[in-house]
Amino acid sequence: MTRECAALLPGVCAALADPRQPGLDDTCLEKLLDWFRSLTWFDPTVELVQDNPSLTELITSVLALPDPSPSIVSFTLQLAGILASSESRFQHLQQEKLLGRLFGREGPRGSAVWEDASVRSAWLKGVHSMVHHQPALPFLCSTGSMDVIFTLQGDPSLFVASAASQLLVHMLTFSLESETSKALSAKDCDWPACAQMIVKHIQESLQSSSASHVEQSLKLLSSLFGSCFGSCYAAWTEVLWLDIAKQIESFLLEETVQAQPVLANLLLNVARSPVLCGTEGSFWALVTSALERLTPVQAGPLAVGLLKLCKCPQDVRIQALTVLLQPMDCILRALFFFGPLGLLDESVSDPVTVESLLSSKTSCAGLLCQTLAHLEKLLSLKHLKVDLPCVSLLRSLMTILQFCNGSLSPPSPLGSTISRNLINCFRVQKSALDVLAALSEKKGEFIFAFLTKTILQFCPICFPLFQVLKKTFQATSKWLVHLQGLPSNSQQQQTEKILEGVFLVLQKRLCSPCWEVRDSSLEFLTAMVKCLRDQNEFRQCLLSSEVLRLTENLLEDPESYVRASAVTASHLSQASIIAKLQEILSTDSEGFPRRAVISIFTKWLREGCTGRLEDTEQFVSRVIQTVEHDLDWEVRLGGLELVEVFCSQAICQLSQCPYAPVSSAVTSSTPQKELLQVFCRAKLFGFLFGSLCDCDKPVGQRACDVLVGLRGHFYPMSTLENPQEVEDSPAGRGIAWLQRTLRQGSLAQNLPTDGGDGVDFQDPESMMLALGAIDLLELHDELNKSSDHVEESPQSLLQDILATVGTIEDNEVDCY
Amino acid sequence: MPEIKVTPLGAGQDVGRSCILVSIAGKNVMLDCGMHMGYNDDRRFPDFSYITQNGRLTDFLDCVIISHFHLDHCGALPYFSEMVGYDGPIYMTHPTKAICPILLEDYRKITVDKKGETNFFTSQMIKDCMKKVVAVHLHQTVQVDEELEIKAYYAGHVLGAAMFQIKVGCESVVYTGDYNMTPDRHLGAAWVDKCRPDLLITESTYATTIRDSKRCRERDFLKKVHETVERGGKVLIPVFALGRAQELCILLETFWERMNLKAPIYFSTGLTEKANHYYKLFITWTNQKIRKTFVQRNMFEFKHIKAFDRAFADNPGPMVVFATPGMLHAGQSLQIFRKWAGNEKNMVIMPGYCVQGTVGHKILSGQRKLEMEGRQILEVKMQVEYMSFSAHADAKGIMQLIRQAEPRNVLLVHGEAKKMEFLRQKIEQEFHVSCFMPANGETTTILTNPCIPVDISLGLLKRETPVPDAKKPKLMHGSLLMKDNSFRLVSPEQALKELGLAEHQLRFTCRVHIQDPRKEHETGLRVYNHLKGILKDYSVQHLPDGSITVESILIQATAHSEDQGTKVLLVSWTYQDEELGSYLTSLLKKGLPQGTP
Repeated sequence: MTRECAALLPGVCAALADPRQPGLDDTCLEKLLDWFRSLTWFDPTVELVQDNPSLTELITSVLALPDPSPSIVSFTLQLAGILASSESRFQHLQQEKLLGRLFGREGPRGSAVWEDASVRSAWLKGVHSMVHHQPALPFLCSTGSMDVIFTLQGDPSLFVASAASQLLVHMLTFSLESETSKALSAKDCDWPACAQMIVKHIQESLQSSSASHVEQSLKLLSSLFGSCFGSCYAAWTEVLWLDIAKQIESFLLEETVQAQPVLANLLLNVARSPVLCGTEGSFWALVTSALERLTPVQAGPLAVGLLKLCKCPQDVRIQALTVLLQPMDCILRALFFFGPLGLLDESVSDPVTVESLLSSKTSCAGLLCQTLAHLEKLLSLKHLKVDLPCVSLLRSLMTILQFCNGSLSPPSPLGSTISRNLINCFRVQKSALDVLAALSEKKGEFIFAFLTKTILQFCPICFPLFQVLKKTFQATSKWLVHLQGLPSNSQQQQTEKILEGVFLVLQKRLCSPCWEVRDSSLEFLTAMVKCLRDQNEFRQCLLSSEVLRLTENLLEDPESYVRASAVTASHLSQASIIAKLQEILSTDSEGFPRRAVISIFTKWLREGCTGRLEDTEQFVSRVIQTVEHDLDWEVRLGGLELVEVFCSQAICQLSQCPYAPVSSAVTSSTPQKELLQVFCRAKLFGFLFGSLCDCDKPVGQRACDVLVGLRGHFYPMSTLENPQEVEDSPAGRGIAWLQRTLRQGSLAQNLPTDGGDGVDFQDPESMMLALGAIDLLELHDELNKSSDHVEESPQSLLQDILATVGTIEDNEVDCY
Repeated sequence: MPEIKVTPLGAGQDVGRSCILVSIAGKNVMLDCGMHMGYNDDRRFPDFSYITQNGRLTDFLDCVIISHFHLDHCGALPYFSEMVGYDGPIYMTHPTKAICPILLEDYRKITVDKKGETNFFTSQMIKDCMKKVVAVHLHQTVQVDEELEIKAYYAGHVLGAAMFQIKVGCESVVYTGDYNMTPDRHLGAAWVDKCRPDLLITESTYATTIRDSKRCRERDFLKKVHETVERGGKVLIPVFALGRAQELCILLETFWERMNLKAPIYFSTGLTEKANHYYKLFITWTNQKIRKTFVQRNMFEFKHIKAFDRAFADNPGPMVVFATPGMLHAGQSLQIFRKWAGNEKNMVIMPGYCVQGTVGHKILSGQRKLEMEGRQILEVKMQVEYMSFSAHADAKGIMQLIRQAEPRNVLLVHGEAKKMEFLRQKIEQEFHVSCFMPANGETTTILTNPCIPVDISLGLLKRETPVPDAKKPKLMHGSLLMKDNSFRLVSPEQALKELGLAEHQLRFTCRVHIQDPRKEHETGLRVYNHLKGILKDYSVQHLPDGSITVESILIQATAHSEDQGTKVLLVSWTYQDEELGSYLTSLLKKGLPQGTP
């Protein structure tokens, strides 16, 4: 703690404990706790409380208040917990007899403020912070706190209930793992008292007739095993699991407990944890039976979780996959009356439940959405240890999509029911398109066979819902990527056919009255151009379509988002639109299109599309003059990026060997001089130094980066160790002024870029001087601090609290 | 019993960030998705992990509704839809959809300025999020799915602010968002029809306050600006790009016109143009006066207000500058503040609330020596004024809205616990309805008593004579058909026909033992004579096979297999003659009287 803060703290504590003071902004108290947390985190010594007696005085005063406000009680509980997080401070607070009065029976637990959920939550958080050393546990057990925590698991407040559950997990883990000397693997009678209490509570709740108690315990166990994930194997977790496994099995068999989702989650967390050692056989049997007994909706998350595991036995994996594929299988079977046309081997599939779920209007979409989301997740996995029947999956997906848009109504009764349930179901449509996109990653021979069908069947159909269209575009562009790798010429025609179809759709969409559709169409076009620009067929199709003309028209779209996307999409035909883009940069009234133009310009420059250095120099100079006074900070930032690219290219072109070290500080070599002249002619320095004083910090930061880079080029490291002396010449005076101005805090200044105060930003000599004289690295450090680093400091926070309580009489609640 | 559940994740007993989960008739809706500007870490967003413990958000939530464009109501939306992964429908009004991205973009800039900011959305995310939004018109009933429908009502508060009615079947909830029951200079008053929702969720910012007219505050504002300008000072008004800025621009513009003032007024951000464009575009959302004068002159076309250039700040003489961001976080407004703070002739007016951790908060709490970057101390000599222009309903307004909507229950959000408690009691006393005020994370459950509409077939109605009066309750019998999500009461015959079912007769049977050593047919005859004697008004028949019928009731006499002296009477009757059947059974159980032939 700094001296300034230590001096302010007593005043703050006194103000907080004063009931006459109006309430503080709740963020102040939270941030104050953050500060104490950071102070105690690495420092277990008792000094903090000893040197700052105002802290314990605050606690004492709050305890003495006859009718304290919930917010100050909450704060005090948390503060005490944080302070008691180390053994020495805990003992200190115990000597002062504060902890018992706060967390024990005579504390807020028994008073009216306990009704307030924030107080209960703070009590739990306080206890949680405290449980980081052994003496805390007996203290809690002896003050009856364990029963309070057990009760709070069922608190009406979600936050309190969840905090109680997390606390129990923390306490059990801490109490067992901190007692390393004892052999804990045998039986729980050896376990520490606190752990025994928790385990006993879990066991009793599991056998309780109250469904909510059972569910609470299952949740607790679930997070307990979930938290073991990744930690080293602890023998006690296995003992615990063996203790409860039978009970869990009985829940599955009896099906009387309505906590199946929690049960599935628990099994998954156990499967993930390192608990299983020697009990594997029986555990996997339990998992298998869960996959069989739970409904498809309940088993889905378990199945997908199992498939992600490395250590899952192959037969369990296959069964999990079966659970996920069953709805897709059912869809395919629903197409036909007879025949082995499903996706799964009939022997493993028991379609009755799934069929009935899909037949019902209310459950059909839910089941399919969930299944599709799981499949998307599986497809995104790099190492999936089971084979996915991609071809059939694709067929099933196509069927779902056709059901959704009403283009397929199969003769079978099940098929027609499902198709009725799915027609116009956008939720399912969206999920199916996501899977379709993900399926494109699974490269295989089958892809091309279905590609034509997929795209051509879907693009021309009119989608009333924008999001579906967007997903179609996403899926299509992912599939189109594979066009590039097509092997034989025989498929060239097919490619052209596909592309023609796509462009036809695109033309229509670019004229849509909804800006969302126009914008996404342009984004789709940009994505296509990016991946297929080198392909001849693509270029030909693009040029022969109306798409480019339409895109150019959209440069004048009323919606700025669309104009910006049109700028990005139209850079393929750069030569013809460069003037247009420059016009947009200087005249468009909104930021997005201007940002798009500057980033396209930078891209061209980077790709070397702007021609010779002289042309580039003029181009950059023009752009700089346009963006220098732009009202949008990102445009100015983009301008600096352009300058950076230009500088590095100019350096490469003009230095014969760009990597050779520069021999002396004030170099007389021609390339260096020429380079400086180029930069000065392009009016680079005025822009860069002016940007250092930009009111938006990121702009200043970037300008400083560029200047530091330039200095590194013109001055070798050794010369920079001694700061450059500014000569007493007309140019030198200007630079000295610049130096002083920047030192005074760049953000407060407006730097004249027109040569005011004798600085000539176009004079190579002056600029060489400036680069050497100004301490850019210090400026860099200053600019890299957060804009609110002063206001967010603890000292500032303490000052704010003091100022608030001191001046505002009635802190009327207000908001925006 | 059906129930409505409400769990605030934000705005439960606080005014931080609104995010309220409502569960109604199996549908889950999120009302608002706000951000807390007082935090730089994840605490600024609601903790969405509480929405569902199992499964995906998109599967769980049926829709998200945003009431208006203030960041404490929509600021977390791009985070929720693009980073947390919600992919379902989002609804807001047209102006909110247009204005929301401007404010989000404005705030994103502040976060970029702050180093160490993590987990914040990008421009592309804002755009992608906005594309997912479905814009709604006022009073338009939007069908989210087959059962869930929503409808927007005018809320006043800011341009495009709306209250939403959420309806599933006959159960409904109205969420007010922020609203204002008194019209102001550019917006009208909130209005909702007498929709008698099961629950009204209302904001309660000024739960215990009776606010003075906004006109007084506006007059005060103009006076202060005018005085400063007159004495040659400069006025800085830090604002967010949209909202309060336009409101104050109208004020100054008309005042300047009226007083023929010459001092320049500048607006510092390039976003103004777009903002003003939207205010012009959504003229129908403004108040009557603006709409009426619109043809002669659009209020949002400002003659006196010009774009600001950084160099103007150093110009001598008076001026008024609107600069972003609003709480003097960083950027242009802070830069101008630093330049002007040292001169006591100048003034800064904070037209809204400032969170801790901003220069705005510091100067409002009276701090006059500020540490700036590079350990420099800035002495604030300029005048500092705070003026609250926030337009919320006060206690009177809230009561007025409840009177207007006639809800069965009320739930208070977006306010301080103490003040809510006061209002809660007042509401319960005055309207005799239950009023709730859950804290964040607490679930309130409200039992509803839904009336289910049933159609009655014309055939069944016509059977009743006289035809029942629609206003009077009447008991009717028929078969209830539940088909295609609707209920119909029809005659049993029609029900059979529609469902393609055959009619089955349900008969009750009973065995009665009587002591009679005679032959069966003689016993039968004795029973017949006995009944004929008693049941004079009924048709009693003796059939050739020896059995007896009384109306639909059939009686047969058989011999007992083991005891010749006992005869068994099999009695069987239909559902329609149940009363007669049981009467006969009890009669026969008494046995046949002596001397019956």
